[in-house]
Amino acid sequence: MKSFGMIIRIALAVFGAAVPFIGSPYLMGVVFQVAMWIALAQSWSMLSATTGYLSLGHAVFYGVGAYVCVLLTGKIPFELALLAAAGSAALFAALVGMPVLRVRGPYFVILTYGLSELVRHIVMRIESALGSFGRMIFDVPATEVLLWWMVGLAVLATLGAYAIRHSRFGAGLAAIREDEVAAETVGVPVTRLKLLAFVASAAIPGAVGALALLRTSYFEPAQAFDPVISFTIVTMALVGGTDTVRGPILGAVGFALLSELLWSSLPQLYMIVLGLTLIVFILFVPRGLSGLFGRIGRAS
Amino acid sequence: MTVPMLSVSSLRAAYGPVQVLFEVNFDVLPGSVTTLIGANGAGKTTIMKSLAGLVSPTAGEIRFEGEYITHTASHDRVNAGLCLIPEGRLVFPGMTVEQNLRLGAIAPAARAGHSEMLAEVFRRFPRLEQRRNQQAGLMSGGEQQMLALGRGLMARPRLILMDEPTLGLAPVMVKQVFETIEELRAAGFTILLAEQNAKVALELADRAYLLENGRVALAGSGAELLDSPEVRRAYLGM
Repeated sequence: MKSFGMIIRIALAVFGAAVPFIGSPYLMGVVFQVAMWIALAQSWSMLSATTGYLSLGHAVFYGVGAYVCVLLTGKIPFELALLAAAGSAALFAALVGMPVLRVRGPYFVILTYGLSELVRHIVMRIESALGSFGRMIFDVPATEVLLWWMVGLAVLATLGAYAIRHSRFGAGLAAIREDEVAAETVGVPVTRLKLLAFVASAAIPGAVGALALLRTSYFEPAQAFDPVISFTIVTMALVGGTDTVRGPILGAVGFALLSELLWSSLPQLYMIVLGLTLIVFILFVPRGLSGLFGRIGRAS
Repeated sequence: MTVPMLSVSSLRAAYGPVQVLFEVNFDVLPGSVTTLIGANGAGKTTIMKSLAGLVSPTAGEIRFEGEYITHTASHDRVNAGLCLIPEGRLVFPGMTVEQNLRLGAIAPAARAGHSEMLAEVFRRFPRLEQRRNQQAGLMSGGEQQMLALGRGLMARPRLILMDEPTLGLAPVMVKQVFETIEELRAAGFTILLAEQNAKVALELADRAYLLENGRVALAGSGAELLDSPEVRRAYLGM
C-alpha cells in the first residue's frame, strides 16, 4: 500500500504542477509532452513490463487513434472522438493480438515493429490515393482542455498499470513472463491474459494519439505512425525501470525534460542521447532509474 | 468394477509430420498410483502433455471423471482437478517460494481456502516453509521438485500427473520423491507417474504400462511388470 500512496502523490504532483502553467503556452506544452509520454510508457508497461513481451510497435496504436480522430473530428463531439480513438486502437489490438502473441522474444519485437510499419505504409497509400498528403483540422478544443485530458490519461494509465500489477491478472502475467509453459500447467489462461494485456496496453495510446493530433491540428501518416514514437516509449520505460510503476514515470519525465532542453539548443543531439542512454542503462543499470533510486534509498 | 478416473483411448499425437503416439490406451483408477515406464522417446512426456492440454492430440479421446477433455483448454483442466508437475520442474525462477505456491492456486476452483492449502503444503514440506522467501531459481534440484509438487497441490488436484520427477536428482532426493508419492496416495490422491527409474516406479505402482515407440507394449500390475522377462532384460538390466 506504500507504493500506492506514492502513486497518488505523484498523480497529485502532476496535477498540481499543471495548474500554475495554465496560461503560459510554453510550459503548457512541456506539461502536455510529459503527460503524453507518461501515458504512453505506462500503457506500454501494462503488456511489456508485466509479460516480458517487448512491443516495438506501440506507435501503431497512437497512429490508429490519430487517424480515427482525424476522420471523425467535426462529425461527432470531441469526447466521443477520443473514446472512438481509444476503442479503435483496442479493437485493432484485439484483432491482431491472436496471431502476433503466438511468437515470443525477439520475434515478437520484430513482428510488432513490422506490423506498425505496415500499417503506416497502408495509411500513407490510402491517403495519397485520396489525393491528400496531410489533413488540417480546424475547430480544435482549447489547449487547456487538451492538456487536462492528457494529464487525465497519464493518471489513468498509471492507476491502470498499478491495478494490473497488484491483481490476480497481474500475477498471471508475471507467471507468463517467468515461464509460459509452467504458467499453463498451474492453470493460468495464458492466451486470454496475453490478449487482454495487449488490448489494455493499446487503448490509452489510441486516445493519446488523438489528443496529440488535435494539439498539432495537422495529420500526416508518416508522423502519426512514426517508429521513433515506439523507440522513445521503449527507451523511456527501460531507462525508468520496468520493475515498478514509478519506473515509466521517471523515464518519461526525464526524457521529456531532456528533449525540451536539447530541442532548443542542439536538436540533432537528442536522438544520440536517447540511444546512448538506452545502451548505458541496459548494460549498467538494468533495473533503471527506479532501481537506482531504490538502491540509493536503501543504502542511506 | 471401479470406474476409472482417467481413461485414454486410441490416443495419437504428432509433432508436425513426426508421429509420436500411435493408439495409446490406458486407464487410471481412483486412489491408485499408475506408472508409465519406457525409454527416452517412447512417448511418456507427450502423453503427459496431451493429458495436460499442452499438446493437442491428432486422434483419440481423453476422459477425466466421466467428461471428455480431449480438446479442453489446459487452464480448464487444472480447474477441473487435473494437474501436471512438468518435466524439468519449471518453477518460476525469479519468484520466491511463496509466490510460486500462491500462483499454484490461481485456478478459480483453488482460490477459496488457498491459505489453508498453503499451510498444508508447508506442513507436508517443512523445507519450503523455511525457504519461503528464497528465490526459487536458486534452490537445489530436489528443493525445486518439492516446490513444483507443492505448487501443483495448491491447485487442489484429484489427479496429479508427474512427469519424470526424479530426473537429475541425487539418490537421496529420489528416495524422498518416491516416499512423497506414497504419502500422497495414502492421503487419497490419484497419481499418474512417468518414470525412467523403472525399478522403484514399478515397486510402487498399483498398475503399470510399458511404452515402446509410442504404443503400450505391456500392461499389468507393478509386480507383474517387474517379473516380466522383457522388462527385466531391457529396463532393469537383469
